[in-house]
Amino acid sequence: MQRQVALIKKSLFDQGYLDEQFMELEELQDDANPNFVEEVATLYFKDSIRLINSIDQALERGSFDFNRLDNYMHQFKGSSTSIGASKVKTECTMFREYCRVGNAEGCLRIFQQVKKEHATLRKKLEHYFQLARQAGPKETARRSK
Amino acid sequence: MTVEQDCVALDQFPVGMRVLAVDDDQTCLRILESLLHRCQYHVTTTNQAQKALELLRENKNKFDLVISDVDMPDMDGFKLLELVGLEMDLPVIMLSAHSDPKYVMKGVTHGACDYLLKPVRIEELKNIWQHVVRSRFDKNRGSNNGDKKDGSGNEGVANSDQNNGRANRKRKDQYNEDEDEERDDNDDPSSQKKPRVVWTVELHKKFVAAVNQLGFEKAMPKKILDLMNVEKLTRENVASHLQKFRLYLKRISGNQQAIMANSDLHFLQMSNGLDGFHHRPIPAGSGQFHGGAAAAAGMRPFPPNGILGRLNTPSGIGGVRSLSSSPSSGMFLQNPTDLGKFHHVSSLPLNHIDGGNILQGLPMPLEFDQLQTNNNKSIIPGNSMAAFPSFPSTQQSSLPNNNSHLVLQGHPQASPSAFPGHQINKRLEHWSNAVSSSSSTLPPPPAQNSNSIMSHQFDDGSSSYSIPFCDSTIPLAPAMDTNPRAFYRTTDLDSNANVQPGGVYYDSLQMRQSGNYGPTTDALLSSNAKEGFIVGQQKLQSGFMGAEAGSLDDIVNSTMKQSQGDLSEGDLGYGGFSSLRTCL
Repeated sequence: MQRQVALIKKSLFDQGYLDEQFMELEELQDDANPNFVEEVATLYFKDSIRLINSIDQALERGSFDFNRLDNYMHQFKGSSTSIGASKVKTECTMFREYCRVGNAEGCLRIFQQVKKEHATLRKKLEHYFQLARQAGPKETARRSK
Repeated sequence: MTVEQDCVALDQFPVGMRVLAVDDDQTCLRILESLLHRCQYHVTTTNQAQKALELLRENKNKFDLVISDVDMPDMDGFKLLELVGLEMDLPVIMLSAHSDPKYVMKGVTHGACDYLLKPVRIEELKNIWQHVVRSRFDKNRGSNNGDKKDGSGNEGVANSDQNNGRANRKRKDQYNEDEDEERDDNDDPSSQKKPRVVWTVELHKKFVAAVNQLGFEKAMPKKILDLMNVEKLTRENVASHLQKFRLYLKRISGNQQAIMANSDLHFLQMSNGLDGFHHRPIPAGSGQFHGGAAAAAGMRPFPPNGILGRLNTPSGIGGVRSLSSSPSSGMFLQNPTDLGKFHHVSSLPLNHIDGGNILQGLPMPLEFDQLQTNNNKSIIPGNSMAAFPSFPSTQQSSLPNNNSHLVLQGHPQASPSAFPGHQINKRLEHWSNAVSSSSSTLPPPPAQNSNSIMSHQFDDGSSSYSIPFCDSTIPLAPAMDTNPRAFYRTTDLDSNANVQPGGVYYDSLQMRQSGNYGPTTDALLSSNAKEGFIVGQQKLQSGFMGAEAGSLDDIVNSTMKQSQGDLSEGDLGYGGFSSLRTCL
């Protein structure tokens, strides 16, 4: 089980969904904070979904307030970076670039990408955490093995 | 002393260093918290800048360092940075996902001691404690130097050291200019036996009148001295006072929230240490004072948090405490001899002094102008100083130095309540030191009282040190223990019916800082007509004052009766006081 978990994690990294920052977070996980990573991820998704909705609404309104959009995205990118959501981060950067040049259509398009990556990552991470929980703490796993 | 204390405090450093983390992004905040825990710091988090300010103001000494995000919805990170620096004089580290040099520069100019990019790595956080240490050392260094030179000199030094850019460079230069001239006169650091000039209300009035006549910008010590035509007043005294005044006003103008009206009062308080006190009932200040007094009483021995400078933080109460702790840190050294003693009375000095100083220094300048121009009837016209020692309520003058004592003391040593205004801190330090020294030595109050209006013997009459205008370098190093009373206006105040604002002063300073000057302050202010000056402060202070209002109220009320009108003008006064006091 542990191995499975490890494999999944590895693939997430390999595929570029996660970067070193995620590893840093894992470093912070310890006995005092046994579910740190998962907690942070949960927080992240909660916040980011809210942001995504805000952006969606802003885009739907049709009035492209690039400044505002950029602000939202900045926040979104910030937390994505903190958690190590690599692909999401990339899309965010592109979105901001479109905002900068005032390319409304580009923004719309890219935002779909952002959402897609975000949803994908969320799914994958949820799956990962679920397995990790099932696998149990590393020590036990080791011991059991 | 301070050095020793520092060392002691440092022993535990950086473990347990108290950090306040502010970031509206929950994810980042959580991660940051975890990282900081990993570094073995003690972490408090909040996702709102306002809440952060409240926490800080509530107790200046509660934190050693602040880490704040730049983009926050309720308040710009840079603004928070400024406020924290001014009011609490705590090192602040900015955090942002923006790597744009413009932001970094902005951070620097607003006084951040570092700028980190997100995502933050633990390696970077492992070293942030250096900022706290550096800040403390700078303050110590500053206060040490202060002994030797004019207050102004110190401020210059201190400012450069401490204010990581926060200090008003212009001010510093300005002061340095002034200072340089006088420096030679004050080259006798070790034997600070120069007779201290007590900037009484009258004296301050003259000073202000002279400044007004010459034009604030153009006022030069020599000319002011000539205009004032006061015997035995030296150019250095004037220069030193002018510097303080300018700082004070600047602070006030620059930091409306914090400083506000306290300028005059503060100013005076600051300069005179004692004088300032009694004049201003600084309602808000008193709160602080009390706090301070308490602090003084408790004088925290150089708390590990080491934020020496923080005295001034508006958190006022906490700050005040610091001051108190450093009782008499020489802020208002009245006696020349005391002065000598002080100078480093407070080992902590930094802590409190800064607090006090900041206030003092800053608001005044602006306030002064205000005072002068406004018709603060009570305060200004020449009375801007009114806030200062001579509060409109000259009657206050009777306000025994006790007040001053309180005021001063409260701060000086106490906790590192960082006063905003690093520069001011220096001053405060001086004052604190002065106060402390005086406190310790406390020459028979009466003697001093003659000079200062405030010569009330506040502390049971023992510590009436009329805090002479701390021009000199009275190292603020609060003699923490010396006269906690001084600071605690409240405490003393209680004892002295007249306890005039002295305490207020403190509070006002503090209040100012906290910017909470809520109603309490106002109330206080108004009541302290005398404090009048403080009135302005009051506004600011209301926040603080509330807390301290206890004693302050008393004072204020007493003063109020006298000069209701003053109060309005007293904005400065009040505030001034506080500032002054905090200096202590």
